[in-house]
Amino acid sequence: MLQETIGQERQIQYQNLLNLVGDQRQDTDEDKPLLKASQMRSIINSHRMMQAYREGSRVAYVSEQFPSEIAFAFDMIPWNLESMAIMLAQSVDVDRVFKLTQEHQLSRDICSFLRGPYGMMMENCYPTPDFVLTNTQPCEGLSKVGLISGKGYKAPVLALHAPNSIDEDSLSYLVKQMEHMMSRMEEDLGIEVGPDSLKSVVEYSNQAREYYNKTVQLLRSNSLPDVSRELQEIFGMNYFGVKENARICKVLYEEAMQLAGKETSKRKRVLWIGQVPEESHEILQHMREVVDIVYWAPLWDANMMMLDEKDPLKSIAERAILYHWDAERTKVETSQICEDHEIDGFLIANVWGCRNVMGISQVLRDIANSKKLKHLTISIDLVDRNNYAFNQVKNRVDAFLELLQ
Amino acid sequence: MITAGIDIGSLSTKCALMDEDQKVIGFDVVLTGGNNKAATEEVYKKALANAKLKRSDVGYVVTTGYGRENIPFADKHVSEITCHALGMHITNPEIRTILEIGGQDSKAIRVNEDGHVDNFHMNDKCAAGCGRFLEVTARAMGVELGELGGISEKSENTVKISSTCTVFAETEIVSLVAVGTAIPDIVKGVHNSIATRATSLLRAVGLSGPLGMSGGVALNSGVVKSVEEALGKEVYIVENPQVRGAIGAASIGQRLV
Ligand code: SF4
Repeated sequence: MLQETIGQERQIQYQNLLNLVGDQRQDTDEDKPLLKASQMRSIINSHRMMQAYREGSRVAYVSEQFPSEIAFAFDMIPWNLESMAIMLAQSVDVDRVFKLTQEHQLSRDICSFLRGPYGMMMENCYPTPDFVLTNTQPCEGLSKVGLISGKGYKAPVLALHAPNSIDEDSLSYLVKQMEHMMSRMEEDLGIEVGPDSLKSVVEYSNQAREYYNKTVQLLRSNSLPDVSRELQEIFGMNYFGVKENARICKVLYEEAMQLAGKETSKRKRVLWIGQVPEESHEILQHMREVVDIVYWAPLWDANMMMLDEKDPLKSIAERAILYHWDAERTKVETSQICEDHEIDGFLIANVWGCRNVMGISQVLRDIANSKKLKHLTISIDLVDRNNYAFNQVKNRVDAFLELLQ
Repeated sequence: MITAGIDIGSLSTKCALMDEDQKVIGFDVVLTGGNNKAATEEVYKKALANAKLKRSDVGYVVTTGYGRENIPFADKHVSEITCHALGMHITNPEIRTILEIGGQDSKAIRVNEDGHVDNFHMNDKCAAGCGRFLEVTARAMGVELGELGGISEKSENTVKISSTCTVFAETEIVSLVAVGTAIPDIVKGVHNSIATRATSLLRAVGLSGPLGMSGGVALNSGVVKSVEEALGKEVYIVENPQVRGAIGAASIGQRLV
């Protein structure tokens, strides 16, 4: 598609988005001071979002845990379909979006992280992508939404298939796919992305990772719930590969250093497993009154992995495989997280219709049982409020919190 | 000191008064209706009258159930899972697994030798398998809720109620009634359907040790029989099962004062 036409389309899409802005869903902890890193992230996110609607910007729809370094090497703005859904749930009239999906006969049994982006595309609110870049894990459904969106916008869809096990064969299989993906992007864009572009992106990714890892270390022995939340946000944003992200991670580490040791609370620690609601969500607010929440996903080994600057694609491939929820690896990794972070209980949040979390849940419950940790599995909907009642969930959460005390 | 436990459920509100010896000295049950504060006032007054006590005689009030946080005079509110566990434990400390079927949810609770909850599991987003399910299906068959247990005993050719959704089950029952299926056979089918759901919950928490049943649905002998048949295990039915949550709440009050 011609750049002028994309630019015009994006203008309309931006206006559509503004028209869709809805009421704030719930009160936020307004008095709560935000971490500096959180403020920076919010500014950077808004800036990137604005940029994505500009003429001349390169936009790639990406699925969760897609190696953003590839998009950044092409100076592309990654538009994360799943994370965007949760962000939009906070600010746009999602009821209208879901009504539209129902009118198009999309079953409400499908997880709202998939229905949400679908509806947003139907409302023509997302910026037209130049590419759709997906990976088949952790969610094939998401990858399919990517496929459909590529068709809708007539944008090329390039998908990575990450195998489950790590060995030379699987690594080179994935490396070849990435090389193919990149050469196809070069071809379509008519540009050449030299090794230097990837090199500098990987350097920024590692810089961020270094601070990220040090922050995780601090989290182990200190009660830093806001820092834990910010790590979750950084993980969800997945901006590893740009300078700004390295700055956010550095600032977060510095703030964590200052806060460490100050908070002497001996509150119980609950590991939040599964999809994570927006920070002001009532379940989180409710739980935070009693326990510290430690988020599971940001602590995965894959997130700690430094990339090999000499052979970046191979290490990106390794990381992609590590992101796979292999039952055995998950068991070992999560057990270690429990020990490192002195976890007292698991809250497994399963979004209605998400077979991925549902599939791995039993492995996680087994870990909790073997460690004699209390656990609760709740079924919720974090985006479509018509699919969930707080009181019903709260009742279970209260009993769980009582169990922990 | 006398303590009160009030369980404000979706269908009924229960109150129990307890003395220092953990003895229940008065209780009552009223329908919750549309105003749970009014129901709480009413049941509290009735329970006090039954025990010949005044409000000022009560030193501590613990509320539980869905409406637990709405009661301004409560000293503490606790989830009904904790309360039912304790309410059952003080009557029969041998019980290790509890099936509690209330108005809009059902729970399986594993309890330890001190009456503390080890683990629990609840029904998912549908009310099928709960008191509300029985209410809706009784209406669809044109029978009284309290008669269901007796009616199911007359079943000779029990039908299978396949739906796991309350609304779908209602439609299914209406169709069965329309084609002339004997009511006892449908009622027994409904009870079996509840038992199937209940056994899944119980197995999810790990069914071990003696099993007790509390909650209003335990008053329905038909459901109890279906659960026993499904598990091949005897179910201990506590006296006044619908008041167990309130009794547990009052007992928590005694532990706290
Ligand atoms: S919630 Fe589950 S099914 Fe939905 S997009 Fe995320 S991983 Fe996929």
